[in-house]
Amino acid sequence: MDFTHCNLGSGVRLHLCETDKFNTVTCKMIVQQDLARDTAAATALIPALVKRGSQKFPTTRQIARELEYLHAASFSSDVLKIGERQLLEFFFDMVDPSLLPDGEENWKRGLETFWDIATNPVTEDGAFVQEYFEQEKLNLRREVEGLVNNKRAYALARAVELMCPDEPYGVYRYGSVSEIAELDNHEEYKYYQSLLMHRPIDIFLVGRNLDLLANEIARLEFPRGEAAELRPITTRDVTEERFHVEEMPAQQSVLVMTYRTSQRYLDPNYYGLLVCNGILGAFPHSKLFVNVRERASLAYYVSSFVEGTKGVLTINAGIDAAAIDQTVQIIKEQVSALQNGEITPEEIEQTKTGLCSSIVSMADDPPSVIDRNLIGLVNGEMRSFDDVLEAIQSVTAEQVRQAAQGLKIDTIYVLKGIAGKE
Amino acid sequence: MERIKIPTGEELFTGYLPNGLHYAILPKPGFVKKYAILSTNYGSLDSKFEVPGKGVVEVPDGIAHFLEHKLFEEEDGNVFDRFAQWGASVNAFTSYTQTAYLFSTVDHVYEALGQLVDFVMHPYLTDENVEKEKGIIVQELRMYEDHPERRLHKNLLNALYHQHPIRIDIGGTPASVNSITVDWLMKCYRTFYQAANMVLFVAGDVDPDQALRVVKEHFPDSNGKSQPVGSRVFPEEPETVHQEWVEDRLSISRPRCAIGFKNTPVEDGHENLRRQLVMGIVWRLIAARSSPYFERLYNEGLIDDSFGASFAGTPQYSYSLVTSETDDPRRLVEEIKQIVQEVQKGPISEADVERIKRQLYGGFIAAFDSLEYVANSYIIHHFNQTPYLKYLNVLQSLTVDDVRQAANDYLDLGKVSVSILWPHGEDNESDQG
Repeated sequence: MDFTHCNLGSGVRLHLCETDKFNTVTCKMIVQQDLARDTAAATALIPALVKRGSQKFPTTRQIARELEYLHAASFSSDVLKIGERQLLEFFFDMVDPSLLPDGEENWKRGLETFWDIATNPVTEDGAFVQEYFEQEKLNLRREVEGLVNNKRAYALARAVELMCPDEPYGVYRYGSVSEIAELDNHEEYKYYQSLLMHRPIDIFLVGRNLDLLANEIARLEFPRGEAAELRPITTRDVTEERFHVEEMPAQQSVLVMTYRTSQRYLDPNYYGLLVCNGILGAFPHSKLFVNVRERASLAYYVSSFVEGTKGVLTINAGIDAAAIDQTVQIIKEQVSALQNGEITPEEIEQTKTGLCSSIVSMADDPPSVIDRNLIGLVNGEMRSFDDVLEAIQSVTAEQVRQAAQGLKIDTIYVLKGIAGKE
Repeated sequence: MERIKIPTGEELFTGYLPNGLHYAILPKPGFVKKYAILSTNYGSLDSKFEVPGKGVVEVPDGIAHFLEHKLFEEEDGNVFDRFAQWGASVNAFTSYTQTAYLFSTVDHVYEALGQLVDFVMHPYLTDENVEKEKGIIVQELRMYEDHPERRLHKNLLNALYHQHPIRIDIGGTPASVNSITVDWLMKCYRTFYQAANMVLFVAGDVDPDQALRVVKEHFPDSNGKSQPVGSRVFPEEPETVHQEWVEDRLSISRPRCAIGFKNTPVEDGHENLRRQLVMGIVWRLIAARSSPYFERLYNEGLIDDSFGASFAGTPQYSYSLVTSETDDPRRLVEEIKQIVQEVQKGPISEADVERIKRQLYGGFIAAFDSLEYVANSYIIHHFNQTPYLKYLNVLQSLTVDDVRQAANDYLDLGKVSVSILWPHGEDNESDQG
């Protein structure tokens, strides 16, 4: 379930995964941009604007009608953050034409619809339709303000912001309220066109009879200039642990602890770091789950995950406000245990098997078949399923210990729940 | 074992063991992941029930969910570790009407399947391990308390229903959870975890015969007679709503609103499926992105992408739900009521209905790409006795008149409850309640 790659020129690439396993055909187009404070909001607004209408289907309603007609075709668009890149994602899928009563004729129509929505928005006076622009600016502001509605997501985002106040990684993927307020319609439209013209574009397809589609895509026209170079990742040495507490009326407190890692995607012991994280907190057999939840009964959820492009390991748990100190202490003990090489053969084996199993399983879900490649895309080196599995299987206990020793605690953030006016 | 051809061209194998267990196996050649789910027709609604031959009992709130947590305990080691050795991930969930245990794995599917049956069918509860679980579950409940959608929905159900057990939070309350004992848990377990009250679904690249052999080997008394199961005792629920308007506050960025339309549930499975599909069409006509109503409310800034509507129809409860973030909940309620009246009056465009039917058709086929989705849907339909595999036939039979009739039959403006969640500090002077 790997892709074959094909260069369409000037920074546009096509990636094909031919398979008859699914009842659907799936397409994703990714446009990469540097994550930066002054452009994050402008990039984030694009998905909302293209959904409002294209040249051929000038309203959301007309787009939706066309997608319904195409037997539940779907189009969606969003921005992702990977390392210090902001990825503009356009997604399209539809039922495999051979499984539908009048499917064959719809396939080409579906692809053209997708292309029209993603690259050919309805315009007015050389910009987006002003009414749409104002509405979507408001909706994006509400999205950013609404982060607080999900306490766990809010705490994770705040921890990253406080950890990286002057690194691009600290920028929220949807930008900030003040940047959104400053967006101008004409500049936004020019910005959107410049992204399509100069940023790297990758189109992924998963399904059957892709040759036909690939030919259609190669024929699609859009203006393309010279591809711009993107900025490399920034790194920083940590000197001391930082501690932040914010209070909010809530039943539960959320604890977030971030560590800088010495290993990143392109480093030799990156897979040692992944296994290290797995033993620490990615599974129910992991040290955090066993010690914080099962032994101490302090949390319902407690886990850790790695951002492998920037090099950050993040731990988070939902706990009682009274248990903050005790939980931090148990978590630090577990990290120390890993650093001291207190790792059983069972922990390593279970973790490797678990990691490999979850990676292999991605081959069963078309969007995941694509998404697992995005970290490779951003880092300039896509890896096959087999290479990744082999790299994980070959990790040793010593490599796990070394990866653990490369963890430097950076920020502890607590969203402290206080009794509100409930 | 019966072989059924399904609309995607695939085959489904189903049947019953002598002890009454229903099973279904969906081979998915080429898929690397295998998924299995063993579910019991027992959820938070079963708060009061008749134990065969022993009379009626009423149990503490949240007990089905507590039991779900505790079945993961084993006398010799824990269940998570067993599955971890095969790289399998195991989980469980509790809803109003079922408690389900599931795993997904790439390798060792038959061992994992045997283990799934073993741990669910062999409880190991002690005073100590029950006590230990209470802190974990209380943190789970606290997490949900801070969850706006969950709070909004819970408040709405409390307004719609007078005394139906759907009012009870699935997880219970910290106080009810703390009152739960081994005796209570075992009483519920023995009453509901009987083969005849359970369903097993296996999906993935598996051999149906071998999967069935494993289940027979591991299921206790698989060749025995089916045992009696407890029966729910529901209080008489009036057709009217309990409260028309409820408000609450939480740390959120802007107000949220949920509008519920209560209707009387139907037991007949075919009729229930028909009702689910036709109401799916009604709500798409109103709330989908293709709807002129959605377009107008969105352009007026009254709703955003959080807007949605759905119909929940089971033999135990039945209601429609409209929900959105909005700056003006009161106006949204009035708009929705007016739109419902318009749809009820008609005319409804045949082209619109046909287009939505095409969408539902495609969606049904595409769903078979997700092992989890198909398995979970099959089980819900089985417990509700709705004929899932007749979905496309029922869909094709629906007409514009059916759609308009359904809007009149199942959306009664005299049986509407509204639940609003305000941010802390925001003015909520209400002229209605």
